[in-house]
Amino acid sequence: MIRKAALILLATAAMTGLASADTTAPAPNPDALLRAAFDNWRADSSQADMTMTVHRPDWERHMEMKTWTQGDDDALVRFTAPAKDAGNATLKKGDETWVFNPKLNQVIKLPASMLAQSWMGSDFSYNDLSKANDLLTEYTHKLTGSTKDGPHTVYTIDAIPKPGAPVVWGKRTVRVREDGIMLGETYFDQDMKPVRIMTTEKVSMIGGRDYPVVMTMRPEDEEGKWTRIETKDATFNQSMPGYLFTLSNLQNPRN
Amino acid sequence: MLVGLAWRNIWRQPHRTALSLSSIAIAGTITVFLLALQQGAYGTMKESVLKLMDGFAQLQPPGYADDPDIRKSISDSGPLIADLVSLPEVTAATPRAASYAILSNGPQSYGAAIVGIDPAREVKVSNLASTITRGRYLQPGDEDAVVIGAGLARNLKLNPGDSVTMLGSAQDGSIAADILKVTGIFSTGSPALDRQVVEMPLVHFQQDFAMNGSINLIAVSGEHLSTINAAIPSLEKIARRNDLVARDWTQLEPALHDVILLDGSFSALLYVSLVIIVVFIILNTLLMSVLERTREFGMLMAIGMKPRQIGRMVWLELLFLAGSGSAIAIAAGSAITAWAATQGIPFPGAEALFSQWNMPSTLYPQLTLLSATAGPLAILVAVAIAGFIPYARVRRLEPVTAMRSA
Repeated sequence: MIRKAALILLATAAMTGLASADTTAPAPNPDALLRAAFDNWRADSSQADMTMTVHRPDWERHMEMKTWTQGDDDALVRFTAPAKDAGNATLKKGDETWVFNPKLNQVIKLPASMLAQSWMGSDFSYNDLSKANDLLTEYTHKLTGSTKDGPHTVYTIDAIPKPGAPVVWGKRTVRVREDGIMLGETYFDQDMKPVRIMTTEKVSMIGGRDYPVVMTMRPEDEEGKWTRIETKDATFNQSMPGYLFTLSNLQNPRN
Repeated sequence: MLVGLAWRNIWRQPHRTALSLSSIAIAGTITVFLLALQQGAYGTMKESVLKLMDGFAQLQPPGYADDPDIRKSISDSGPLIADLVSLPEVTAATPRAASYAILSNGPQSYGAAIVGIDPAREVKVSNLASTITRGRYLQPGDEDAVVIGAGLARNLKLNPGDSVTMLGSAQDGSIAADILKVTGIFSTGSPALDRQVVEMPLVHFQQDFAMNGSINLIAVSGEHLSTINAAIPSLEKIARRNDLVARDWTQLEPALHDVILLDGSFSALLYVSLVIIVVFIILNTLLMSVLERTREFGMLMAIGMKPRQIGRMVWLELLFLAGSGSAIAIAAGSAITAWAATQGIPFPGAEALFSQWNMPSTLYPQLTLLSATAGPLAILVAVAIAGFIPYARVRRLEPVTAMRSA
C-alpha cells in the first residue's frame, strides 16, 4: 500500500517535471547550436574588414586588417594599418600556420612551440587562429542552462575536451543565442579556473545577417588588459579564388 | 683543585685516553675535511652556473621574473649602472634586453630566447664567450650578428657565416623582423641554454624591438658570489630608488638552490650519525671507568669530598678529553684541508656529471671558520651534554656501599 502510494507520488512528480519543461521550447541539440554559431560566424566562406584594439593599462594600439576564410580550415589575415605593420600577413591552411613579413620579404612557417604565443601582441594566440574550429571537433558538448534576453533565448553550453584531445583548456563554456549568434566564451584551465573570457559586445546586421560585430577578449590574470576585434564590413558565401589560400599569394598578394 | 685532579685522572690510563682522543680527533678531522669539500663543491657549482649567464645578482623591473614581458623595462639605465659599479663589492654590471622570437632558416623554424647584450661589458659578467666552439663571440661594433646555442644551431642547420631570420614582437606591439648573421656557436653543456638561447648586440636589439634605448635587466658580478651576497642590501637600496627589484642567486637559479639544500640535508644526516657514534664510544669508555673507580670514589667521599664535587670532576675529565680531541681535529683537519685546497682534488670520470653545472672535474675544498669548527664543536657539545649521565651516577653514590663494592 505504502509502496503504491510512493509510486504514484513519483509518477506525478515526473509528470509535473515534464509539463514544466514543455512550457519552453524543446531543448536544442548543443552540437547543432555550436555548428550554427560557426556557420553564422564563418559561413562557407567569408571576407571581412576588421579592426583590432590591443589595450594595456598604460598603452593602447589599433590595427586594421582584411580577413578571408573558407570552410573550417583555411584563413588568411592581412594587416593594412598602421603603416609599420601593413603588409604583415598570417595564413592558416589545414594544420599549418605561416606568416609573411614584408620587410624580410619572407614566408615563415610557425613552429608548433610558437603557436601558444601571442598573435601580433594581442590577447589572442596563433592557436586561436589556427584551431578556431576545434571547439566543434575536439570537445563534447552539454547544454547546461538557458536564459531569456528580450525576444531571444541564450543557451549555455559546456564543452569538455574529448579524452586525449590535443587542447590546452580544461573546459570552455560557450553562450549562444537560439539563432546561432556567439555571445561569449569562458576558457578554463585544467584546474577549472577561468583563464580568459570572450564577450560579444554588439550584435548588428552585417553582410545580410545578424553578426557579433564587436568581440572582446579579456585575460583573467591582469586588470585593464583586453583585445577588441570589431568587424566593419563583411560578405559571406561568395566564391573565393583558388589562389587565395596559397603561399605564393601570401608572399605576393593578388587580392 | 678539581681541574688538576681531573687532568691527572685522564692520564692514569694513557692507552685508554689515547684511544678515546684519537676517535674524537679522527671523526672531527673527517667532518672538517668533508664539510670543506662540500662547501667547495657547492661554491664551484654556484659560481660556474651563475657565471655562464645569470650573473651573481640581477636588477629587474617588478614582476619581470614571473612574466618576462619586453614592455617591463628600464628606460634610463646609464646612471643606474654607474651607481652599481661604484659599489665596492661590484666588479661589473651589464645591461640586457630579452624577448622570445621565432628563428627561421629555410623550412626550419624554432622559438628561441633572444638576448641583447653589450659585448664589451657582458664578458665581465658572463663567460659564455669562453664556451664558443665555432666562430667567435660578439664584439663591440658588431651589428646584425648573433651567437647561437649549439643545439639550436643544429636544429636550424646553421653554421657560422649563415643568415638566420628573426621574427618577434617589438616593445610597441609592432612586428620585429630582421635577418641576422651567425658569428659564433656556443656549447655550454647546459641543454636549456644550448637549445634556446641566442645573443645579439644590445644596440641592434633595441632597434629591432623598438626599445627606444631601454633595457629589461641588469646583471651584476663581483669577485666572489659571497661578496655580492653580502652586498644584496645595498643593491636592493639602489633597486628601490629606481622602482626595480634586486634578485639574488637563489632567485635566479631556484633549482640549483634546491639541489644544494637537498644534498646538504642528506650529508647533515651523515655528520649527525658520525657525531652520535663518537659520543657513544666516549660515553661508554667513561661509564666503564666510573664503574671501575667506585671504590676510589667511596674513599674520596669518606675523606670529605662531596658527591657533587666528584661528579663535577668526572664531568671535567670528559670535557678535557673532548676538548683536546676537538682541538687536534680542528688543527689536523684544517691542515689537511688547506693542503688539499692548494692541490685540488681531481674526480676522474665525473666530467659528464659535473658538466651539466658547467663545473670543472677538479674540486677545491673551501676552508672557512664554519667548515673548520662545526664538526669538532658539535662533538664537544654533544659529549658535554652526554656527560650528565656519569655525573648523575656519581651523585647517587653512598660512601660505605661504594667502598665495599669490588
